Parts: sequence; C-alpha cells; structure tokens
Amino acid sequence: MKTSRLGAWIAIAIGAIYFVLPLIATIEFSLRMRRGAYSFDAYASVFSEAQFRETFGYSMLMALLTIVFGMLLVVPTAYWVRLRLPQIRPIVEFITLLPLVIPAIVIVFGYLRMYNSSSILPLTGSTTGTNILLVLSYMTLSLPYMYRAVDTAMRAIDVRTLTEAAESLGASWTTILFKCIFPNVMSGVLSGAFITLAIVMGEFTMAALLNRPAFGPYLQLVGANRAYEPSALAVIAFSITWLSMGLLQLVSRFHKAAPAKS
Amino acid sequence: MAFLELANLKKSFGATQVVHDFNMQIEKGEFISFLGPSGCGKTTVLRMIAGFEAPSAGRIAIGGKEQNNLKPNKRNIGMVFQAYALFPNMTVHDNVAFGLKVAGEQATEIDQRVKEMLGLIKLDHLADRYPYQLSGGQQQRVALARALAVRPQVLLLDEPLSALDAKIRVSLREEIRAIQQKLGITTVFVTHDQEEALSISDRIVVMNAGRADQIGTPFEIYNTPATRFVASFVGTLNMIEAKVVDPAANRIQIGDQGVTLKQSVAAFKAGDTVSLALRPEAGSLAEGTPSDTKLTGQVVSAHFLGSVIRTRMNVGGNVISFDMFNSPGVTPPAAGETVTLRFMAADLLVIRD
Repeated sequence: MKTSRLGAWIAIAIGAIYFVLPLIATIEFSLRMRRGAYSFDAYASVFSEAQFRETFGYSMLMALLTIVFGMLLVVPTAYWVRLRLPQIRPIVEFITLLPLVIPAIVIVFGYLRMYNSSSILPLTGSTTGTNILLVLSYMTLSLPYMYRAVDTAMRAIDVRTLTEAAESLGASWTTILFKCIFPNVMSGVLSGAFITLAIVMGEFTMAALLNRPAFGPYLQLVGANRAYEPSALAVIAFSITWLSMGLLQLVSRFHKAAPAKS
Repeated sequence: MAFLELANLKKSFGATQVVHDFNMQIEKGEFISFLGPSGCGKTTVLRMIAGFEAPSAGRIAIGGKEQNNLKPNKRNIGMVFQAYALFPNMTVHDNVAFGLKVAGEQATEIDQRVKEMLGLIKLDHLADRYPYQLSGGQQQRVALARALAVRPQVLLLDEPLSALDAKIRVSLREEIRAIQQKLGITTVFVTHDQEEALSISDRIVVMNAGRADQIGTPFEIYNTPATRFVASFVGTLNMIEAKVVDPAANRIQIGDQGVTLKQSVAAFKAGDTVSLALRPEAGSLAEGTPSDTKLTGQVVSAHFLGSVIRTRMNVGGNVISFDMFNSPGVTPPAAGETVTLRFMAADLLVIRD
C-alpha cells in the first residue's frame, strides 16, 4: 500500500516537473527584460503595442462570432438528433469528430480550393468574405468540443418530454427551443463557449493561411523577432486558456449545485 | 354526439400493429381510465389524442371537430406526464404561466389565473420555488396546474402517479379526481394500476394487445369481466375449469361436484370444458353465509395476511383461493383439512377467452 502510494507521488512529481518547470522558466524569463532586476517591462512592451491590441481584439471578436454561430448550429442540431433522428446520431458524432483527425492545414487548403476568388462562392475574394470563412473554419475546429458539451447537457434533461409538454401548452418550435431547451443546456453552451474561446485565441494555421490579423499569427511573428516579449505573450495566452478552464469549472460546479431535475 | 370520439383508430410502428380498431365515445366531463399492462397500446392511444403520434387509420374528434390534421400545439389539450416535465429553468409561477404567455394573455390575467391554479392545488406558498426544490408529489401537482391553466378541452394524464410513493399516490389520485369533478373537465387517465383506475374513474377501458377488451364502469369491470384477460388483470380471480353436463339447465361439474349456474351455458355442448371465474371474497367457510352453492375440497394452504386469511383449497384439480376476515375467535383451517366453501351461484362467472 505504502509503496504504491510512494510510486503515485513520484509519478505526480515527475508530471508536475515536466509541465510546471517550463512554465516557471517562461514566467521567470519574461520578467528579466530589465538587466539585473525582475520587472514587467516585457508585458508593458507587449501591451503598449498597437498590433497586440488589434490582433487580440480581432481574435476576441472572431471567438465571439464563432461561439454565437456555433451555438446556433450545434444546439438545434443536437436537439433535433435527440428528438427526431436518434438513428443518425452515430453519423453526426462521426462528422463532429472529423476536425480532430483531419489536420487544420488540410481543412484550410480545402477551403482555399473551394472558396477562392474564381469559385462559385468566392469568399476569399473580399476581407468580409475571408472573415466569414475564418469564423466558419473556427466553427469546424471547435465542433467536436461544442457538440459534446451541448449533447452532454441535453442528456441531463428529458428533451422529448419537455418538448411535448411545451407543445401541449401551445408553444411553437422557436419558443420551445429558446425558452425551454436553450436555458436548460446553458451549462453545456458555456462550457463549449469557453473551450472555443481558448481554441480561437491560440489558433495559428487557419488565420495565417487566410492571411487575417489574428492573435495566433501575431504570437508567431513576435516569437520570431523578439527575445522577452514572446515569453510574456506565452504567459498571457496561457492565462486566457486557464481563465477559460476556470470559468468552465465554475459553470459546471454551479450546474451541479442546481441540478436540472425534470 | 359524444364530446371526444375515437373511431376505428389504428396505429402501426413498421410491421407491428400496436393499436387495432379502437373505438370509444367519451362524454363531456367524463373521467375515463385506460387500464392495461405495459405495451398494451394505452399510452399510444393517449399520444394519438394529444397529437404526438399520427394514427395509421381512424378518426379523432373533439366537440365534433376532427383533430387528425391538427398539430399538438393547436389542439388545446392539457397533458400531465409521468416524469412531471416541469421546465427546470422556470419557477413554479412561470411554469404555470407558460401556456398563458404563449397564448398571449395579459400579464394581470396571467397572474390572476396562476394564483387561482396554485390555490386549486394548494401550493400558492411555493410560487417562487424551482422544480428541483419540490418533492415529486408537489412537482406533479404543479404539472397538473400548468396543464389546467390554459383551460384545455381535454385533460390527458399519462401515468401521472407511477413515479410517486404509495401514500402520495393515494392522496394525489383523490385530489386529481376532486379537481376534475370541480372543473368538470373531460379527462383520460392512463394507468397500469387497477386500484387507481377502479377508485377514480367514471368508466374504464381495459386494454389488451392493442384492443379494448372491455369498456364499462368500475363496478361492471370488476364484477362482470367480459374476457379471461379482464378477469385476471382486474383484481385477484380464481379460474376454474368445469365440464358442461346439461347446457339447457346450465348444469356443470367441477371435479365430481355438480353446480347449477345462473349464467347461460347454452352455447356449449354437453361434455365441453367451460372456464369459470370466482372472486376470492365471494366465498366463505362460515355456515351462516348467505349462499346457494357449495364446493367441498381439501385445504392446500392458509396464509395470514393481517386483516384477512387467504386459504387455498383443491376442488377436483382446481385450486381455489378465498379470503376470510381475521378474527381472534376464528382458527385458520389446517392443510389437508376437508372444508366446504359456500357462495352464491351468481358469483360464478362464465368467461370467454
């Protein structure tokens, strides 16, 4: 018993060193911009740059749009599959998993072939079109996480009976979806939203190949040309992810405190 | 003309036909129970009335108006589900108000109606609670108030008491009946519990394999079951195999003992086997019991059940159970003892398959 516990602690320690040590080193290095003293100069330098603010703001907007349109796609789909088409559930699950097995670079090359300026739908022919394409590609990337988060939340409520109860009270499909279903899968929607935020803020391939001023390509650009700022940016990017994960935990804990009994 | 008409209703799921030629005329204000085992088609008929299932054939009409092509949200039918189906994101008040809001009623009217409904189910003090803060019985009462708030033409209750404990079931079923009678609302209640159906219904439909085996008042269903299935499903019943001796005189023979029936066996030939049914409470061993028929047999066992003693006796290969009230002065018969069961011949029913 004691030996196995010691072994477990050793495994945890090795894991922690493997994950935490590079992080501590990055934080430590990001604070060493001023010679001979620790300072936040690298962070000040990053925050003062207009390009940082622009790319950060752009990616936040893209994340927000991805979340909104992603939810408008995923929630009705998951709802409809649960309610009316349970037999196609394995197919939908397979489709939502595809972005995990197809590399982002393959997907984006596919997009460029399909939606280039000489195609039927020339999305890359204009800035707005490319932005739309970027949001759609982010929606694709976040699909596996979003669909699962929403589907799991739907499993916790009796979708069919709630729908029938609302129908018998005279409700239309839109009323049912937005008043009875959406609010009850909000924990799943928020979980999916935070994961999407974390994915979009750090995504490089799609934005770089579509040539959009996103935060991911900016991280790469700074990393290739500066010494201390990349470490500061890495810490900022980590913080965004952690914040998202923390909020996700908070939401799921809140959901557990007030279970959706039906 | 009946208020709710179900004419030649049929329903198939793929190759399986789950409802066969179901016919029923329900009067306004009647409380009807669909009683039967799982899979007999009772919930399917209810769901067809609600509009959640489309009939494969047949007609559903309410107040003379055909409902077949109306969507569930256009039928104005209140429904209460086994799983309560309260909206978890809404308070009790908002749940009851939901249908009224959907109908576009004024806020003051909605508040007044919600108060009236919560008063009816005696839960006005819990208006601000969420469903997860209520017990099962309270949730089901809120579901009932929600269904009634919109003044439905018909109220459908799909096994509303099945998820509740025994004590709450009894009190809530009485409450449902009292509310139904007060409002005079036409109600269809689905249950597999015979006691529930017998205690609160105006009429009962006993369903078996997608067909209505018998439609009648609780008294008729219990006392004069039309089929072997109804007889065995409603209450405890002794099934006795007898031989027809003289069809014209209604004479039969159980083992080697002759009995003259009140019901006719003219449709049988001498020597045919006939199935008879006898309720356990119809017979007694006491000599002073009002009776015109006797059967003698050997006691197989006697089980003490508290208020009654259930005794099983063998009469010519038929094991007949009968109940005696427990009394400190009465000694239960011992196994192997020869006893005489006394009963009225009218209680011995001829059963068709």
